[in-house]
Amino acid sequence: MNVQKILALVKMELKNLIREPANLFLMLLFPAVLTIVFGFAFNDPELDMEFSSMVPGLFAYACIFIIMTIAQSFATEREEGLLKRMNTTPMTSGEFMGSHIISNMFIAVIQVIIVYGLAVFLGFRSQGDVSGFFLAFLFMILLSLSSVGLGLITATVSKSPGAATGISFIFILPQMFFGTFMPITSNTRIIGMFLPSFYVTDSLTSIFEGASLTEANILINLAIISIIGVIIVIIGIQLFKKFGNR
Amino acid sequence: MSIKSNKKYKSDNPEDIFDPDSDNAIVIKDLVKNFDDVIAVNGLNLEIKKGELFGLLGPNGAGKTTIINILSGLLVPTEGTAFVGGYDVRKNLNKVKKLIGVCPQEAAVFKFLTGRENIELFGHLHEVPKSEIKERVTNLLKLVNFTEASKRKAKGYSGGMLRQLNLLIALISDPKIAFLDEPTVGMDPRARRKTWEFIGSLKDQNKTVILTTHYIEEAEALSDRVGIIDYGELIALGSPKELMEKHESKNLEEVFLKITGRRILEGI
Repeated sequence: MNVQKILALVKMELKNLIREPANLFLMLLFPAVLTIVFGFAFNDPELDMEFSSMVPGLFAYACIFIIMTIAQSFATEREEGLLKRMNTTPMTSGEFMGSHIISNMFIAVIQVIIVYGLAVFLGFRSQGDVSGFFLAFLFMILLSLSSVGLGLITATVSKSPGAATGISFIFILPQMFFGTFMPITSNTRIIGMFLPSFYVTDSLTSIFEGASLTEANILINLAIISIIGVIIVIIGIQLFKKFGNR
Repeated sequence: MSIKSNKKYKSDNPEDIFDPDSDNAIVIKDLVKNFDDVIAVNGLNLEIKKGELFGLLGPNGAGKTTIINILSGLLVPTEGTAFVGGYDVRKNLNKVKKLIGVCPQEAAVFKFLTGRENIELFGHLHEVPKSEIKERVTNLLKLVNFTEASKRKAKGYSGGMLRQLNLLIALISDPKIAFLDEPTVGMDPRARRKTWEFIGSLKDQNKTVILTTHYIEEAEALSDRVGIIDYGELIALGSPKELMEKHESKNLEEVFLKITGRRILEGI
Protein backbone atom coordinates (compact mmCIF):
# COMPACT_ATOMS: atom_id res chain seq x y z
CA MET A 1 0.00 0.00 0.00
CA ASN A 2 1.38 3.35 -1.06
CA VAL A 3 0.10 6.25 1.06
CA GLN A 4 0.89 8.85 -1.61
CA LYS A 5 -1.37 7.11 -4.13
CA ILE A 6 -4.20 6.57 -1.63
CA LEU A 7 -4.13 10.21 -0.51
CA ALA A 8 -4.13 11.43 -4.12
CA LEU A 9 -7.16 9.24 -4.89
CA VAL A 10 -9.02 10.31 -1.73
CA LYS A 11 -8.37 13.95 -2.62
CA MET A 12 -9.70 13.34 -6.13
CA GLU A 13 -12.85 11.63 -4.83
CA LEU A 14 -13.56 14.43 -2.36
CA LYS A 15 -13.14 16.96 -5.16
CA ASN A 16 -15.71 14.93 -7.10
CA LEU A 17 -18.09 15.36 -4.16
CA ILE A 18 -17.54 19.09 -3.84
CA ARG A 19 -17.47 19.98 -7.54
CA GLU A 20 -20.33 17.84 -8.81
CA PRO A 21 -23.55 19.55 -7.66
CA ALA A 22 -25.57 16.31 -7.77
CA ASN A 23 -23.12 14.52 -5.46
CA LEU A 24 -22.85 17.48 -3.14
CA PHE A 25 -26.62 17.68 -2.83
CA LEU A 26 -27.13 13.97 -2.32
CA MET A 27 -24.37 13.45 0.21
CA LEU A 28 -24.38 16.64 2.25
CA LEU A 29 -27.24 19.01 1.43
CA PHE A 30 -29.98 16.38 1.20
CA PRO A 31 -29.42 15.02 4.73
CA ALA A 32 -29.29 18.62 5.97
CA VAL A 33 -32.53 19.59 4.21
CA LEU A 34 -34.24 16.40 5.38
CA THR A 35 -33.23 17.03 8.98
CA ILE A 36 -34.56 20.59 8.83
CA VAL A 37 -37.85 19.51 7.18
CA PHE A 38 -38.39 16.67 9.66
CA GLY A 39 -37.38 18.94 12.52
CA PHE A 40 -40.07 21.46 11.66
CA ALA A 41 -42.71 18.93 10.61
CA PHE A 42 -42.44 16.48 13.50
CA ASN A 43 -41.46 18.67 16.42
CA ASP A 44 -45.11 19.19 17.26
CA PRO A 45 -46.11 17.51 20.57
CA GLU A 46 -49.63 16.95 19.20
CA LEU A 47 -48.25 14.42 16.74
CA ASP A 48 -47.63 10.81 17.69
CA MET A 49 -44.27 10.86 15.89
CA GLU A 50 -41.50 12.68 17.68
CA PHE A 51 -38.58 14.28 15.91
CA SER A 52 -36.12 12.96 18.53
CA SER A 53 -37.10 9.38 17.77
CA MET A 54 -36.39 10.01 14.08
CA VAL A 55 -32.91 11.52 14.45
CA PRO A 56 -31.02 8.17 14.67
CA GLY A 57 -32.74 7.07 11.46
CA LEU A 58 -31.75 10.30 9.73
CA PHE A 59 -28.08 9.49 10.30
CA ALA A 60 -28.46 6.09 8.67
CA TYR A 61 -30.65 7.53 5.92
CA ALA A 62 -27.92 9.95 4.84
CA CYS A 63 -25.31 7.22 4.77
CA ILE A 64 -27.20 4.70 2.62
CA PHE A 65 -27.11 7.12 -0.33
CA ILE A 66 -23.38 6.40 -0.53
CA ILE A 67 -24.55 3.25 -2.40
CA MET A 68 -25.82 5.42 -5.24
CA THR A 69 -22.84 7.77 -5.48
CA ILE A 70 -20.34 4.88 -5.37
CA ALA A 71 -22.27 2.96 -8.04
CA GLN A 72 -22.50 6.05 -10.26
CA SER A 73 -18.86 6.90 -9.75
CA PHE A 74 -17.57 3.42 -10.68
CA ALA A 75 -19.96 3.09 -13.62
CA THR A 76 -18.88 6.52 -14.93
CA GLU A 77 -15.18 5.77 -14.51
CA ARG A 78 -15.66 2.48 -16.34
CA GLU A 79 -17.69 4.07 -19.16
CA GLU A 80 -15.16 6.87 -19.68
CA GLY A 81 -12.19 4.50 -19.80
CA LEU A 82 -10.73 5.84 -16.56
CA LEU A 83 -10.64 2.48 -14.80
CA LYS A 84 -8.70 1.03 -17.72
CA ARG A 85 -6.33 3.96 -17.72
CA MET A 86 -5.71 3.67 -13.99
CA ASN A 87 -5.09 -0.04 -14.53
CA THR A 88 -2.09 0.81 -16.71
CA THR A 89 -0.42 2.51 -13.74
CA PRO A 90 1.31 0.69 -10.86
CA MET A 91 -1.76 1.39 -8.68
CA THR A 92 -3.05 -1.77 -6.98
CA SER A 93 -6.73 -2.65 -6.64
CA GLY A 94 -6.25 -2.52 -2.84
CA GLU A 95 -5.09 1.10 -3.07
CA PHE A 96 -7.97 1.99 -5.37
CA MET A 97 -10.69 0.33 -3.29
CA GLY A 98 -9.07 1.51 -0.05
CA SER A 99 -9.21 5.13 -1.22
CA HIS A 100 -12.93 4.79 -1.98
CA ILE A 101 -13.57 3.30 1.47
CA ILE A 102 -11.57 6.04 3.22
CA SER A 103 -13.18 8.91 1.32
CA ASN A 104 -16.68 7.57 1.98
CA MET A 105 -15.93 7.03 5.66
CA PHE A 106 -14.85 10.66 5.74
CA ILE A 107 -18.13 11.66 4.08
CA ALA A 108 -20.06 9.61 6.69
CA VAL A 109 -18.29 11.53 9.46
CA ILE A 110 -19.25 14.85 7.87
CA GLN A 111 -22.85 13.61 7.56
CA VAL A 112 -22.91 12.83 11.30
CA ILE A 113 -21.66 16.31 12.11
CA ILE A 114 -24.22 18.00 9.82
CA VAL A 115 -27.23 15.94 10.92
CA TYR A 116 -26.30 16.07 14.61
CA GLY A 117 -25.62 19.81 14.53
CA LEU A 118 -28.92 20.60 12.81
CA ALA A 119 -30.86 18.20 15.03
CA VAL A 120 -29.49 19.88 18.15
CA PHE A 121 -30.32 23.27 16.64
CA LEU A 122 -33.91 22.05 16.16
CA GLY A 123 -34.26 20.95 19.75
CA PHE A 124 -32.93 17.37 19.79
CA ARG A 125 -31.11 16.49 22.99
CA SER A 126 -29.11 13.29 23.40
CA GLN A 127 -29.16 11.59 26.81
CA GLY A 128 -25.75 10.08 26.07
CA ASP A 129 -22.37 11.62 26.87
CA VAL A 130 -19.50 12.55 24.55
CA SER A 131 -18.43 8.90 24.19
CA GLY A 132 -21.88 8.21 22.72
CA PHE A 133 -21.17 10.79 20.05
CA PHE A 134 -17.96 9.01 19.08
CA LEU A 135 -19.79 5.71 19.14
CA ALA A 136 -22.24 7.18 16.65
CA PHE A 137 -19.28 8.01 14.40
CA LEU A 138 -18.09 4.42 14.63
CA PHE A 139 -21.47 2.98 13.65
CA MET A 140 -21.78 5.38 10.74
CA ILE A 141 -18.28 4.55 9.51
CA LEU A 142 -19.18 0.85 9.57
CA LEU A 143 -22.44 1.54 7.74
CA SER A 144 -20.49 3.48 5.10
CA LEU A 145 -18.36 0.34 4.63
CA SER A 146 -21.39 -1.79 3.77
CA SER A 147 -22.70 1.04 1.55
CA VAL A 148 -19.43 1.05 -0.41
CA GLY A 149 -19.76 -2.73 -0.85
CA LEU A 150 -23.36 -2.48 -2.03
CA GLY A 151 -22.35 0.36 -4.36
CA LEU A 152 -19.69 -1.88 -5.91
CA ILE A 153 -22.20 -4.71 -6.38
CA THR A 154 -24.58 -2.22 -8.03
CA ALA A 155 -21.81 -0.93 -10.33
CA THR A 156 -20.90 -4.51 -11.28
CA VAL A 157 -24.37 -5.30 -12.58
CA SER A 158 -25.04 -1.84 -14.09
CA LYS A 159 -24.14 -1.20 -17.71
CA SER A 160 -24.21 2.60 -17.41
CA PRO A 161 -24.20 5.34 -14.76
CA GLY A 162 -27.94 5.85 -15.39
CA ALA A 163 -28.65 2.18 -14.77
CA ALA A 164 -26.49 2.34 -11.63
CA THR A 165 -28.74 5.08 -10.23
CA GLY A 166 -31.88 3.01 -10.76
CA ILE A 167 -30.44 -0.30 -9.59
CA SER A 168 -28.99 1.28 -6.44
CA PHE A 169 -32.56 1.78 -5.18
CA ILE A 170 -32.84 -2.02 -4.82
CA PHE A 171 -30.48 -1.63 -1.87
CA ILE A 172 -31.54 1.87 -0.78
CA LEU A 173 -35.33 1.50 -0.51
CA PRO A 174 -35.52 -1.53 1.81
CA GLN A 175 -32.95 0.05 4.11
CA MET A 176 -34.86 3.32 4.00
CA PHE A 177 -38.22 1.75 4.90
CA PHE A 178 -37.08 -0.90 7.34
CA GLY A 179 -33.95 0.56 8.86
CA THR A 180 -34.06 4.32 9.19
CA PHE A 181 -36.63 6.81 10.48
CA MET A 182 -39.78 4.87 9.58
CA PRO A 183 -41.47 3.39 12.67
CA ILE A 184 -40.59 -0.28 13.04
CA THR A 185 -43.34 -2.80 13.76
CA SER A 186 -42.89 -6.40 14.83
CA ASN A 187 -43.34 -7.45 11.18
CA THR A 188 -40.97 -4.95 9.63
CA ARG A 189 -38.41 -5.73 12.35
CA ILE A 190 -37.93 -9.20 10.84
CA ILE A 191 -37.14 -7.71 7.43
CA GLY A 192 -34.98 -5.04 9.03
CA MET A 193 -32.77 -7.65 10.66
CA PHE A 194 -31.38 -8.46 7.20
CA LEU A 195 -30.40 -4.84 6.56
CA PRO A 196 -27.24 -3.03 7.76
CA SER A 197 -29.00 0.27 8.50
CA PHE A 198 -31.40 -1.45 10.95
CA TYR A 199 -28.56 -2.23 13.37
CA VAL A 200 -27.16 1.27 13.11
CA THR A 201 -30.50 2.98 13.75
CA ASP A 202 -31.24 0.58 16.60
CA SER A 203 -27.85 1.28 18.20
CA LEU A 204 -27.98 5.04 17.70
CA THR A 205 -31.45 5.10 19.31
CA SER A 206 -30.03 3.36 22.39
CA ILE A 207 -26.89 5.53 22.40
CA PHE A 208 -28.91 8.75 22.28
CA GLU A 209 -31.03 7.40 25.13
CA GLY A 210 -27.87 7.07 27.20
CA ALA A 211 -26.63 3.54 26.45
CA SER A 212 -22.86 2.97 26.53
CA LEU A 213 -20.53 0.74 24.55
CA THR A 214 -20.53 -1.86 27.32
CA GLU A 215 -24.22 -2.65 26.95
CA ALA A 216 -24.99 -6.00 25.36
CA ASN A 217 -27.26 -4.85 22.54
CA ILE A 218 -24.72 -2.19 21.46
CA LEU A 219 -21.88 -4.68 21.45
CA ILE A 220 -23.94 -7.25 19.55
CA ASN A 221 -25.04 -4.65 17.00
CA LEU A 222 -21.46 -3.44 16.66
CA ALA A 223 -20.27 -6.97 15.98
CA ILE A 224 -23.09 -7.61 13.48
CA ILE A 225 -22.60 -4.37 11.51
CA SER A 226 -18.81 -4.92 11.47
CA ILE A 227 -19.20 -8.45 10.11
CA ILE A 228 -21.88 -7.38 7.60
CA GLY A 229 -19.76 -4.40 6.47
CA VAL A 230 -16.60 -6.44 5.94
CA ILE A 231 -18.42 -9.30 4.19
CA ILE A 232 -20.35 -6.99 1.85
CA VAL A 233 -17.31 -4.93 0.95
CA ILE A 234 -15.25 -8.07 0.25
CA ILE A 235 -18.05 -9.47 -1.95
CA GLY A 236 -18.36 -6.09 -3.69
CA ILE A 237 -14.63 -5.84 -4.38
CA GLN A 238 -14.37 -9.41 -5.64
CA LEU A 239 -17.43 -9.11 -7.90
CA PHE A 240 -16.29 -5.78 -9.30
CA LYS A 241 -12.75 -7.03 -9.92
CA LYS A 242 -14.05 -10.11 -11.72
CA PHE A 243 -17.04 -8.80 -13.66
CA GLY A 244 -17.31 -5.04 -13.21
CA ASN A 245 -14.03 -3.78 -14.58
CA ARG A 246 -14.75 -4.54 -18.23
CA MET B 1 1.08 -12.98 -46.13
CA SER B 2 2.44 -12.77 -42.65
CA ILE B 3 5.89 -11.67 -41.64
CA LYS B 4 7.33 -13.95 -39.05
CA SER B 5 9.96 -13.07 -36.50
CA ASN B 6 13.38 -12.20 -37.81
CA LYS B 7 14.84 -14.13 -34.90
CA LYS B 8 13.87 -17.65 -33.94
CA TYR B 9 13.87 -18.64 -30.32
CA LYS B 10 14.81 -22.09 -29.20
CA SER B 11 13.46 -22.38 -25.70
CA ASP B 12 9.79 -22.92 -24.92
CA ASN B 13 10.13 -21.13 -21.62
CA PRO B 14 9.58 -17.43 -22.28
CA GLU B 15 11.68 -16.45 -19.25
CA ASP B 16 14.70 -18.17 -20.78
CA ILE B 17 14.46 -16.53 -24.14
CA PHE B 18 14.61 -12.86 -23.43
CA ASP B 19 17.95 -11.27 -22.88
CA PRO B 20 17.64 -8.28 -20.53
CA ASP B 21 20.76 -6.75 -22.04
CA SER B 22 19.19 -6.86 -25.46
CA ASP B 23 18.77 -3.76 -27.62
CA ASN B 24 15.06 -4.46 -27.75
CA ALA B 25 12.55 -2.58 -25.64
CA ILE B 26 9.72 -4.86 -26.71
CA VAL B 27 9.72 -8.45 -27.88
CA ILE B 28 6.46 -10.01 -29.00
CA LYS B 29 6.51 -13.75 -29.49
CA ASP B 30 3.82 -15.86 -31.16
CA LEU B 31 1.16 -13.59 -29.73
CA VAL B 32 -2.45 -14.65 -30.21
CA LYS B 33 -5.55 -12.98 -28.85
CA ASN B 34 -9.01 -14.34 -29.49
CA PHE B 35 -12.33 -12.80 -28.49
CA ASP B 36 -14.69 -15.77 -28.68
CA ASP B 37 -14.60 -16.69 -32.39
CA VAL B 38 -12.80 -13.54 -33.51
CA ILE B 39 -9.03 -13.68 -33.90
CA ALA B 40 -7.83 -10.18 -33.04
CA VAL B 41 -4.10 -10.95 -33.03
CA ASN B 42 -2.87 -13.93 -34.99
CA GLY B 43 0.61 -15.24 -34.17
CA LEU B 44 2.39 -11.92 -34.04
CA ASN B 45 6.18 -11.83 -33.76
CA LEU B 46 7.86 -8.46 -33.50
CA GLU B 47 10.84 -6.74 -31.94
CA ILE B 48 10.98 -3.03 -31.22
CA LYS B 49 14.33 -1.48 -30.39
CA LYS B 50 15.11 0.74 -27.43
CA GLY B 51 14.76 4.41 -28.40
CA GLU B 52 12.82 3.54 -31.53
CA LEU B 53 9.66 5.34 -32.63
CA PHE B 54 7.60 2.54 -34.07
CA GLY B 55 4.46 3.23 -36.08
CA LEU B 56 1.76 0.59 -35.91
CA LEU B 57 -0.61 1.00 -38.82
CA GLY B 58 -3.65 -0.88 -39.99
CA PRO B 59 -7.26 -0.56 -41.03
CA ASN B 60 -10.03 -0.30 -38.43
CA GLY B 61 -10.30 -3.49 -36.42
CA ALA B 62 -6.90 -4.75 -37.56
CA GLY B 63 -5.78 -5.46 -34.00
CA LYS B 64 -3.61 -2.41 -33.20
CA THR B 65 -5.38 -1.43 -30.00
CA THR B 66 -5.57 -5.06 -28.88
CA ILE B 67 -1.78 -5.28 -29.22
CA ILE B 68 -1.31 -2.09 -27.18
CA ASN B 69 -3.77 -3.35 -24.56
CA ILE B 70 -1.83 -6.61 -24.22
CA LEU B 71 1.51 -4.78 -23.98
CA SER B 72 0.13 -2.46 -21.29
CA GLY B 73 -1.42 -5.30 -19.29
CA LEU B 74 -5.08 -4.57 -19.93
CA LEU B 75 -5.61 -7.82 -21.82
CA VAL B 76 -4.17 -11.27 -21.24
CA PRO B 77 -2.87 -13.02 -24.37
CA THR B 78 -4.64 -16.19 -25.47
CA GLU B 79 -1.32 -17.66 -26.58
CA GLY B 80 2.27 -16.49 -26.74
CA THR B 81 3.60 -13.59 -24.75
CA ALA B 82 5.36 -10.25 -24.91
CA PHE B 83 8.27 -8.75 -23.05
CA VAL B 84 8.22 -5.06 -22.24
CA GLY B 85 11.50 -3.63 -20.99
CA GLY B 86 12.61 -7.19 -20.37
CA TYR B 87 9.58 -8.16 -18.28
CA ASP B 88 7.03 -10.74 -19.30
CA VAL B 89 3.55 -9.18 -19.43
CA ARG B 90 2.12 -12.47 -18.21
CA LYS B 91 4.37 -12.70 -15.16
CA ASN B 92 5.78 -9.30 -14.22
CA LEU B 93 2.97 -6.91 -14.98
CA ASN B 94 3.71 -4.65 -12.01
CA LYS B 95 7.25 -4.10 -13.26
CA VAL B 96 5.95 -3.47 -16.78
CA LYS B 97 3.54 -0.82 -15.46
CA LYS B 98 6.40 1.08 -13.85
CA LEU B 99 8.11 1.46 -17.22
CA ILE B 100 5.22 2.49 -19.42
CA GLY B 101 3.01 5.46 -20.15
CA VAL B 102 -0.23 4.85 -22.03
CA CYS B 103 -2.21 7.35 -24.05
CA PRO B 104 -5.50 5.54 -24.76
CA GLN B 105 -7.55 5.99 -27.91
CA GLU B 106 -10.42 7.67 -26.06
CA ALA B 107 -9.45 10.68 -23.95
CA ALA B 108 -9.75 9.23 -20.44
CA VAL B 109 -9.60 12.15 -18.02
CA PHE B 110 -11.50 13.16 -14.89
CA LYS B 111 -13.84 15.90 -16.12
CA PHE B 112 -14.34 17.52 -12.71
CA LEU B 113 -10.60 18.01 -12.25
CA THR B 114 -8.54 20.71 -13.93
CA GLY B 115 -6.00 19.69 -16.55
CA ARG B 116 -3.16 20.18 -14.07
CA GLU B 117 -4.94 18.17 -11.36
CA ASN B 118 -5.46 15.30 -13.81
CA ILE B 119 -1.77 15.15 -14.70
CA GLU B 120 -0.74 15.44 -11.04
CA LEU B 121 -3.11 12.63 -10.03
CA PHE B 122 -1.61 10.25 -12.57
CA GLY B 123 1.86 11.37 -11.47
CA HIS B 124 1.00 10.16 -7.97
CA LEU B 125 -0.43 6.90 -9.34
CA HIS B 126 2.81 6.38 -11.28
CA GLU B 127 4.75 6.88 -8.04
CA VAL B 128 6.53 10.02 -9.24
CA PRO B 129 8.22 11.50 -6.13
CA LYS B 130 5.87 14.03 -4.56
CA SER B 131 8.56 16.72 -4.55
CA GLU B 132 9.00 16.42 -8.33
CA ILE B 133 5.41 16.30 -9.52
CA LYS B 134 4.61 20.01 -9.62
CA GLU B 135 7.79 20.90 -11.48
CA ARG B 136 7.34 18.06 -13.98
CA VAL B 137 3.74 19.08 -14.67
CA THR B 138 4.77 22.71 -15.14
CA ASN B 139 7.47 21.70 -17.63
CA LEU B 140 5.15 19.41 -19.57
CA LEU B 141 2.47 22.08 -19.79
CA LYS B 142 4.97 24.64 -21.03
CA LEU B 143 6.17 22.28 -23.76
CA VAL B 144 2.77 22.22 -25.44
CA ASN B 145 1.55 25.70 -24.40
CA PHE B 146 -1.11 24.19 -22.19
CA THR B 147 -0.39 26.15 -19.01
CA GLU B 148 -3.39 28.49 -19.14
CA ALA B 149 -5.86 25.80 -20.24
CA SER B 150 -4.63 23.50 -17.48
CA LYS B 151 -6.12 25.80 -14.86
CA ARG B 152 -9.64 25.07 -16.11
CA LYS B 153 -11.74 21.99 -15.46
CA ALA B 154 -11.48 19.37 -18.20
CA LYS B 155 -15.28 19.42 -18.50
CA GLY B 156 -15.01 22.60 -20.59
CA TYR B 157 -12.26 21.38 -22.92
CA SER B 158 -12.68 20.95 -26.65
CA GLY B 159 -11.99 17.53 -28.20
CA GLY B 160 -8.49 18.60 -29.26
CA MET B 161 -7.64 19.91 -25.79
CA LEU B 162 -8.82 16.66 -24.20
CA ARG B 163 -6.49 14.83 -26.59
CA GLN B 164 -3.56 16.99 -25.57
CA LEU B 165 -4.30 16.40 -21.92
CA ASN B 166 -4.65 12.68 -22.63
CA LEU B 167 -1.13 12.68 -24.08
CA LEU B 168 0.42 14.71 -21.28
CA ILE B 169 -1.00 12.34 -18.66
CA ALA B 170 0.75 9.47 -20.44
CA LEU B 171 4.09 11.23 -20.14
CA ILE B 172 4.06 12.52 -16.54
CA SER B 173 5.96 9.50 -15.28
CA ASP B 174 8.74 10.13 -17.83
CA PRO B 175 8.18 6.57 -19.08
CA LYS B 176 10.90 4.60 -20.83
CA ILE B 177 8.25 3.17 -23.14
CA ALA B 178 5.21 5.13 -24.33
CA PHE B 179 2.16 3.63 -26.04
CA LEU B 180 0.33 6.31 -27.97
CA ASP B 181 -2.93 5.00 -29.41
CA GLU B 182 -4.11 7.46 -32.06
CA PRO B 183 -3.00 10.47 -30.01
CA THR B 184 -3.88 13.14 -32.56
CA VAL B 185 -7.42 12.10 -33.56
CA GLY B 186 -9.76 15.09 -33.37
CA MET B 187 -7.00 17.70 -33.25
CA ASP B 188 -7.01 20.61 -35.67
CA PRO B 189 -4.10 20.62 -38.18
CA ARG B 190 -2.07 23.16 -36.19
CA ALA B 191 -2.43 21.28 -32.88
CA ARG B 192 -1.64 18.06 -34.70
CA ARG B 193 1.59 19.46 -36.16
CA LYS B 194 2.59 20.73 -32.73
CA THR B 195 1.87 17.34 -31.21
CA TRP B 196 3.95 15.68 -33.94
CA GLU B 197 6.87 17.86 -32.94
CA PHE B 198 6.30 16.93 -29.34
CA ILE B 199 6.12 13.20 -30.09
CA GLY B 200 9.22 13.52 -32.29
CA SER B 201 11.07 15.14 -29.38
CA LEU B 202 10.48 12.01 -27.29
CA LYS B 203 12.95 10.23 -29.55
CA ASP B 204 15.63 12.72 -28.52
CA GLN B 205 15.01 11.67 -24.94
CA ASN B 206 15.77 8.07 -25.98
CA LYS B 207 12.23 6.92 -25.25
CA THR B 208 10.71 4.01 -27.08
CA VAL B 209 7.42 5.09 -28.59
CA ILE B 210 4.78 2.83 -30.11
CA LEU B 211 2.43 4.98 -32.10
CA THR B 212 -0.80 3.79 -33.69
CA THR B 213 -2.43 6.16 -36.09
CA HIS B 214 -4.78 6.45 -39.02
CA TYR B 215 -2.86 9.46 -40.31
CA ILE B 216 -0.34 7.71 -42.54
CA GLU B 217 1.60 10.94 -43.08
CA GLU B 218 1.99 11.12 -39.30
CA ALA B 219 3.58 7.69 -39.20
CA GLU B 220 5.74 8.52 -42.23
CA ALA B 221 7.01 11.75 -40.70
CA LEU B 222 7.69 10.39 -37.22
CA SER B 223 8.45 6.69 -37.35
CA ASP B 224 11.85 5.03 -37.58
CA ARG B 225 10.06 1.85 -38.58
CA VAL B 226 6.51 1.00 -39.41
CA GLY B 227 4.55 -2.21 -39.01
CA ILE B 228 1.33 -2.70 -40.93
CA ILE B 229 -1.18 -4.96 -39.26
CA ASP B 230 -4.22 -6.50 -40.88
CA TYR B 231 -6.51 -9.20 -39.55
CA GLY B 232 -4.22 -9.44 -36.54
CA GLU B 233 -1.16 -10.30 -38.64
CA LEU B 234 1.94 -8.26 -39.35
CA ILE B 235 1.91 -7.92 -43.13
CA ALA B 236 4.68 -5.37 -43.66
CA LEU B 237 7.65 -4.21 -41.60
CA GLY B 238 10.42 -1.73 -42.29
CA SER B 239 11.36 1.92 -42.37
CA PRO B 240 8.98 4.12 -44.37
CA LYS B 241 11.69 4.48 -47.02
CA GLU B 242 12.29 0.72 -47.27
CA LEU B 243 8.58 0.02 -47.61
CA MET B 244 8.15 2.68 -50.28
CA GLU B 245 11.04 1.26 -52.27
CA LYS B 246 9.90 -2.32 -51.87
CA HIS B 247 6.36 -1.55 -52.97
CA GLU B 248 7.39 1.04 -55.58
CA SER B 249 5.25 3.73 -54.04
CA LYS B 250 5.57 7.51 -53.75
CA ASN B 251 4.54 7.60 -50.13
CA LEU B 252 3.54 5.39 -47.22
CA GLU B 253 -0.15 5.91 -47.82
CA GLU B 254 0.21 4.30 -51.23
CA VAL B 255 2.07 1.39 -49.65
CA PHE B 256 -0.69 1.03 -47.07
CA LEU B 257 -3.43 1.05 -49.69
CA LYS B 258 -1.55 -1.37 -51.92
CA ILE B 259 -0.93 -3.89 -49.17
CA THR B 260 -4.23 -3.76 -47.34
CA GLY B 261 -6.20 -3.34 -50.57
CA ARG B 262 -4.53 -6.37 -52.13
CA ARG B 263 -5.55 -8.49 -49.17
CA ILE B 264 -9.14 -7.45 -49.68
CA LEU B 265 -8.96 -8.29 -53.40
CA GLU B 266 -7.28 -11.60 -52.68
CA GLY B 267 -9.97 -12.35 -50.13
CA ILE B 268 -7.46 -13.04 -47.38
